[in-house]
Amino acid sequence: MTFYEKELNRIRSIVYSSEEQVKTVIGIRNYIKNNCEANLNLDLLSNIQLVSKYHLLRLFKKYYGITPKQYLIDTRIEKSKEHLINGMSVTETCFAVGFESLGSFSTLFKTKTGKSPSEYQKEQLSRSKINLEFSTLEDS
Amino acid sequence: MKVTLISIPVRDQEKALNFYTEKLGFIKKRDLPLEGGNRWLTLVSPEWQDGPELLLEPAPNHFEPSKVFQDALMEAGYPYTQFDVDDVEAEYQRLLKLDVDFSVKPTEMGTVKFAVFNDTCGNNIQIVETL
Repeated sequence: MTFYEKELNRIRSIVYSSEEQVKTVIGIRNYIKNNCEANLNLDLLSNIQLVSKYHLLRLFKKYYGITPKQYLIDTRIEKSKEHLINGMSVTETCFAVGFESLGSFSTLFKTKTGKSPSEYQKEQLSRSKINLEFSTLEDS
Repeated sequence: MKVTLISIPVRDQEKALNFYTEKLGFIKKRDLPLEGGNRWLTLVSPEWQDGPELLLEPAPNHFEPSKVFQDALMEAGYPYTQFDVDDVEAEYQRLLKLDVDFSVKPTEMGTVKFAVFNDTCGNNIQIVETL
């Protein structure tokens, strides 16, 4: 066993000593991931895992370093990228991934990716077109 | 300021380029000649081509402390850096078939699963999946 593995085992026994807590937070994260387009809130999540919402919030932050809300937003933004690449309109994408206002979706998207949803879409679509043109160029 | 570059020290840039593209699946983004046969050589993830670039840097050949540090990490089994994957087990199986040597098999640790392999260029590299 390497020194690294020994260190990991030592850290594991301290940081991840509660299997139950680990199981709970993994369950919550998976639920958010699989239902990110739904209207999720802490009450709902705490009912699913049968823990109080403040405890849930604290646990999630402890094990993932971000709040459930931040994780939800990141997951929605990632999913919205897929929709945009597949040609879905910005408005449709916004509602498909669970945001309720176009303004807040566009602002969040820009903060997270550096581009507005429409700029992102234009860039991705022109990129696939360029790739196509280049591959025909190479073929001929 | 923006984070756009991650540097990995390698003993042989050409060998590293082959390993990181052919086995790991990265794509070459920039390759320009510098002095003395050294190159500014960067790679990106195929699914995130405007994401951070991975610089394969020949530092251990030119700066002794870099070599010492790299050797010490290798000996202790410490990963130089880590990459995210969707499925550690699947990636482990895929890389095993390509004769990649793992020092840590897929292992769960709390909310992550990880494995560690040898990049054949002087580093241990960790792959991680968040559970």
